[in-house]
Amino acid sequence: MNSPITRVFGFLLVVLGVYLWIGYSITALTGSGDEAAAVVEITPEGGEVIYWGKGRCFTCHSVGGQGSAVRGPNHGQFGEKFQQSMGARAVERALARTKKEGVEFTAVDYVVESLASPGAFVVEGYKNEMAVVYAPPISLNLKEIKAVTAYLMSLGGDLDMEAIDTAPSEITKKLYSKIAAAAEAGGGDPELGAEVFEDNCVECHSLGEDDGEIGPNLSGIAASGLKFISESILAPTKSLTKGYETYVVINNEGRQFIGLKTRDADGEVDITNALGDVETITKSDIKEIRIDDTLSIMPDDISEVLTVKEYQDVLSFLMLQKPAEEE
Amino acid sequence: MVTRLATAGVMRFGLFVMTGLLLFLVATPAFALEENVYRQFMGLDSRRLVWFLAQMHLFFGAFVLGVPLFAVIIEVVGWRSEDSKFDNLAYEFTSLLSVAYATTAALGGLLAFALFTLYPTFMGYMAGIFKDIMFMYALLFFGETFCLYLYYYGWKWLKSGQPFPPISRWIFKALSIILATFGLALLAGYVGPEMRTDTRWFIILLYILPVVIGLWIIQGRKTTHIFIGILLNVFGTAIMQLANIWAGFMMCPTSVDADGSFIGTVCQAFENILATPIAIHRMLGNLAFGGLVAGSYAAVKFISAKTQEERAHYDWMGYISNFVAIAALIPLPFAGYYLGREVYSTSAVMGNNMMGGDFSWTFIIQAMLVGSLFLISNYYLWSGMTRIPGAERYYKFIKWILLALILSLAIWLTPHNLPLSSLEVGEMGGSQYHPVLKFLGLMPAKNAVVNLIILATFFSFLLYRRGNMKEPVSIRQQGKGPRITIIIVGALAIAMVAQYAWVMLNMDPAELDLPADRAQYIRTIGYALVVECVVGVLAIILALMDRGKLGQGLYLAATALNVTGFLGVYGFVVMEKASPVLRNVAVSQFLQLISCLILVTVIDIFLFKRAKSLGKMQWGNMSSRSQYALLLLTFVITMNMGLMGFIRSGLRGDWHIFGVMRDTSQWAGTPSNFVMTQQVSAAVLLFMIGTAFMFWLGSIANSEREE
Repeated sequence: MNSPITRVFGFLLVVLGVYLWIGYSITALTGSGDEAAAVVEITPEGGEVIYWGKGRCFTCHSVGGQGSAVRGPNHGQFGEKFQQSMGARAVERALARTKKEGVEFTAVDYVVESLASPGAFVVEGYKNEMAVVYAPPISLNLKEIKAVTAYLMSLGGDLDMEAIDTAPSEITKKLYSKIAAAAEAGGGDPELGAEVFEDNCVECHSLGEDDGEIGPNLSGIAASGLKFISESILAPTKSLTKGYETYVVINNEGRQFIGLKTRDADGEVDITNALGDVETITKSDIKEIRIDDTLSIMPDDISEVLTVKEYQDVLSFLMLQKPAEEE
Repeated sequence: MVTRLATAGVMRFGLFVMTGLLLFLVATPAFALEENVYRQFMGLDSRRLVWFLAQMHLFFGAFVLGVPLFAVIIEVVGWRSEDSKFDNLAYEFTSLLSVAYATTAALGGLLAFALFTLYPTFMGYMAGIFKDIMFMYALLFFGETFCLYLYYYGWKWLKSGQPFPPISRWIFKALSIILATFGLALLAGYVGPEMRTDTRWFIILLYILPVVIGLWIIQGRKTTHIFIGILLNVFGTAIMQLANIWAGFMMCPTSVDADGSFIGTVCQAFENILATPIAIHRMLGNLAFGGLVAGSYAAVKFISAKTQEERAHYDWMGYISNFVAIAALIPLPFAGYYLGREVYSTSAVMGNNMMGGDFSWTFIIQAMLVGSLFLISNYYLWSGMTRIPGAERYYKFIKWILLALILSLAIWLTPHNLPLSSLEVGEMGGSQYHPVLKFLGLMPAKNAVVNLIILATFFSFLLYRRGNMKEPVSIRQQGKGPRITIIIVGALAIAMVAQYAWVMLNMDPAELDLPADRAQYIRTIGYALVVECVVGVLAIILALMDRGKLGQGLYLAATALNVTGFLGVYGFVVMEKASPVLRNVAVSQFLQLISCLILVTVIDIFLFKRAKSLGKMQWGNMSSRSQYALLLLTFVITMNMGLMGFIRSGLRGDWHIFGVMRDTSQWAGTPSNFVMTQQVSAAVLLFMIGTAFMFWLGSIANSEREE
């Protein structure tokens, strides 16, 4: 019993015992670990499960005396600063939002907007740092977001499940559509995606009435589906749009021109290259003209230019470009 | 016996590497959106099984990677000072590795088995992305194995002999120059222009520079042996870096599209944001861990020593081990801050979860453990002063250092807020925060006290160093060498602070997403750094004028005031008015502290280089209590490593690969702190039993050899 090794291991066991006691005491104080997400219904109870679980809302928010996070506003009644719970507070916030925007917001609109575009109307004294809850790693789907909305509205407010689920207002409907598009595109933010589009795509593509200078007009591109859009960005040759095939023209001198055929009239052909430069070639000078479906004038290194986040943002933005009748 | 052990080790290692490769080859590449397949072994919880095996592998791996780092340094000290005592110590440290290495490889093989069989979809996905790196990983193991066995078994063979012929030496020097040129090209961006800056510096400082130096110094057998030791560390570091890349990728996947398909190159995956911060943190951790495990060996040997000679030897070995550990512990909190900062930059969700979510209490346990490490290290140094004649002159300082450490530790442990009952909230005036303690729970306060803990530990070390030295000697009378060294080292240390001062004085607030009127908060940090530089220059001048102690005191006091007092308090202002600048405050605190440690140390070396001694160090005259302190340090750092592994891995929540591949198994979720302490305690206990067994095997081999 008195050998050094026995004493050393006896000492180790005492140290480990203290360590275990600390772990046990803290767990007794704070509760056990988090369970993984479960399937929920669009009800306040379902939303509560998401709020304190998969949604990780409790990391930044508390509800009254429940929870201890302070990074975001408390959603319950708490001290002088939060005299009303979220449901009742949302009505006042919606009035302030209406005043600011000049468009009528309901309490549900306000709560849904806080989840869909957290930076749109930040509570004074708090930073615009809320995570995008429909993007990884939180990745709430639309159903779960509706459930959280129901939970928050149930905290001291009038719960109107129709306004949340079956008959949403125009504002909420638009926000839901944004969430659905973004969630489908891996969680990108369409608003940031619009900026990415402006910086990287508008030189060749356009939206709205006008045709693109070089690439196709992308209004209504959402109808082609996520896979097509994704493939068009990452591997443009795999999904060429009709009318935007890449032509290879070789003239009698052996010079080669690669680009879109943007004009074919009066015995001439115009070939517009990736930089937008136009070469006019007389048909009598053409030795060979053919479509090369292995080439695209759209850059194929876009995945190196965009970060993954930017890629997801622009994808979600494009997923919102629905055909006119769908809008 | 020794040869048989080595052969068995190599064979076992080879078997596991081959098995790993075979498993990798049969693994089918998978995609993130495929349904995950999970399996069980004997009905066990697969997650806890993999967690346990990974932890055991990491414990042994950390020891195997940490010990050669300082064994080579000690060997170099022995070679330069021509003191065989250091050479023998380095050899003794290395002798601890032989069995540990084979155990690490065996556990690595077991972990690979478990991962490929229990988590086939996840491993298929990882193998699809990292197939090239996995092969490289296995091949690097061969390099490490050959270097380790050559380093250990070739020690006596390469100990002495005739210098190599000049032509051979010039060839090594030429190779060194070629490699240095390559390093410069890499530094300038001619090689790997797209490489991240942190990866570039990691490669230059930890791979190229040591090999350049190793080749340059080769003159004969001994220096060749040192070069092999350097190569051993280069291979070990590379293996660790590759494994960290996988861990980094799991937390911060790059080049993955919306479908979870990998669309990048292996280089992009290699250079994920967290790869280098994890590697730096783990490397310093390994060094401290290796030092302390070796220290625990010395402590057990000391406790069971029969003669005074043995006690003296193991006392000295324990001291060196603790010294190595403290040297690595000092920068470790900053490496941790860097890693935490990058985690937050990667994902605010992970960052919030770390400091304010599931892991906030785990971090309080971590603060307890790290604080204990510093406190016990200091206690060990103070105990060591009892064996130094003349050190009693400095006892009066100990109580003040202890006070500073305890107060700092208390502040470090203070949480920002706690779950409170409504009664408690009412008693605090309706606020969730305590009126005073709420400030101590914030990051500026914690950054300030971490710096103070390090400064206090450094001060203990200075007192220890001076224990038996009478009066400082004149630096001016020591010739040009010391003066030039102080000027060069001091200039480099001050330049480190000055360059950041320049950055702070010229930074555009827009870089931090701040409006132009917040520039004043950045400039103030710049001015504080300029003051620090001026005091640094003054300290150098005073040292050159033979007022070194005054210079040291001035620089230490200025650093303590600037880092802990001024910037500690100013951090609150910054947090309120321009919170993104808080990171710059932390970086500036770190740079001032490191600069202070470097300059004060170099002055101290020359100040007491030939100082008259008040008596010889009485090695072996240490209490048994101090040896238990050394053991406690090992236990605490091992528990802390397990805890940090839990946090790093647990931050992903229920994701195998954060945001890309969800853990859909029945074990998904974040376990409680009690589960964590259970897992870690079991791993620590088994690791210590394994270590004791390995040391016992090593002692059999040593006694056979001695006979």
